[in-house]
Amino acid sequence: MSDKQSTSSKVALKILPYLSILSVLGIWQLLVVTGVVPNTLLATPVQVVKLFFYKIGHADPDGAVLIVHVLVSIGEALTGYLLALLIGIPLGLLMGWFVLAEGLARPIFEMIRPIPPVAWIPLAIFWFGIGLTGKAFIIWASGMVPCVINSFVGVRMTNPVYIRMARTYGASDWEIFTKICVPSALPMVFGGLQVALAASWTALVAAELIAADAGLGFLITMGRRLLMPDMIVLGMVMVGITGVIIGVIIDRVEKRLVAGVRR
Amino acid sequence: MSNEALLPTSSGAERPKTFREFVSAVFKNVYVLYTISIISFLLLWDAASVLNLLGKFLPRPMEVVYQLYDMFLNPLAGKTLLEHLWFSLRRVLIAFAIAVAIGVPIGLSMGFSKYVHAIVKPVFDLFKPMPPIAWISLAILWFGIGETSKIFIIVIGAIVPCIINSYNGIRLVDPELYDCIRMLGGNKRQEVIEVTFPAAFPAIFAGIQISLSMAWTTVLAAELVGAREGMGFIIITGMNVSKPAMIIGGMVVIALTAWAISVAVTHLERWVCPWKTKLE
Repeated sequence: MSDKQSTSSKVALKILPYLSILSVLGIWQLLVVTGVVPNTLLATPVQVVKLFFYKIGHADPDGAVLIVHVLVSIGEALTGYLLALLIGIPLGLLMGWFVLAEGLARPIFEMIRPIPPVAWIPLAIFWFGIGLTGKAFIIWASGMVPCVINSFVGVRMTNPVYIRMARTYGASDWEIFTKICVPSALPMVFGGLQVALAASWTALVAAELIAADAGLGFLITMGRRLLMPDMIVLGMVMVGITGVIIGVIIDRVEKRLVAGVRR
Repeated sequence: MSNEALLPTSSGAERPKTFREFVSAVFKNVYVLYTISIISFLLLWDAASVLNLLGKFLPRPMEVVYQLYDMFLNPLAGKTLLEHLWFSLRRVLIAFAIAVAIGVPIGLSMGFSKYVHAIVKPVFDLFKPMPPIAWISLAILWFGIGETSKIFIIVIGAIVPCIINSYNGIRLVDPELYDCIRMLGGNKRQEVIEVTFPAAFPAIFAGIQISLSMAWTTVLAAELVGAREGMGFIIITGMNVSKPAMIIGGMVVIALTAWAISVAVTHLERWVCPWKTKLE
């Protein structure tokens, strides 16, 4: 391949992604404007952006400004998520090292694990109502599984040489657990956090679709009830953006915390 | 708890000498602990329900069994339990087949050509963070509450792992393998058939596996929002008629099905790509 060709292909590879996004948005806009897809079924990107700026300052027609929906969703997600971390990670770590913890917790965990988090929604509503508690429970149920599995596997993957060495030097089991197994499991645990986040976010939207009075999932449902496709798309976009932002934040935290362990 | 040796390094048990040692050996046996765990879980559940710890919405374990038996024999909304299960499974299978048929070729072509990658990746990244369930309102608006909208949503959920894993599978093939076949004089076609596909297949299959379990989760969500049959319909009906035993019964069947699917796929994997263990 000559130099000229390779530079031109490099330029093409740089431009193509933007071109592709622009053309998707353009085709989307054109489809609706020309009437191939009726406007009652799909909103144009322009309409969605307009509604976005409108919703920043106006509570109608769904009862709350956009930032309130976002905050409600984030509040519910974080409550359940933090609970899942606080319970799931220690449980998984203990299960990885202590036979007693594994023997007692594993069968129950294996029974509950195959239940998709969405299936908990009706029970959660029965037990805790449609408020914060019920949703936090659903998020908790969906975030627990990856947290436990990854912490468990992380401890199990500890290099046995370290453990034997610590034993030779007379470390107690508890010391080995806290000083060797836990630090060496941390990267795995953080991998679990990202998986748990994606699972929780999905479950949250599902929960809000079924029963809620605020939140991004509720915004989507209201869009359908009011036959406002622009509101549906706005809700979907906000769900996507918020999820990405939370993911990036966790990634940053991970890099800070694990930095000292791995290097 | 006793702080005796626990990891494999020291689990070689000696013959117990005293009664105390015998007891502690029993409590270190995983299977004994498993049994204790399951029995105490059921007993605690029963106690919680008898004592009304969670209000009147926690049925006793036996009530759930009765309810399951009842649904198995007597139709609910015109269909028995197995028929509801079949409806959910059918949706999952149809959508899963569509997702694999579309997703795997997209992922593969992204892995083979950087131009396709440059075009598809940004659009894919745009849609990926939206949970499939968020599409439900739009799907209902477009296709009504019938089969089409449910299958559409499941396809959206199931296609993501197919694309990601096929792409990564191709991209992460060990370059040494290519060096080998090139040195042996293989041409481009042989490279693809003899190296790329076999080496990428385990990753692609893993993606298919994830996508099947995603499909099973998504079908429930879709059925919770609007359906007249299926497992999601059973648990949402249980909620509407205030019958928690029906909800938990439904959850038990859902969990069993999810478990059966994963076992079946694991066996299938051993059969379809036996070389996987050698590669890892």
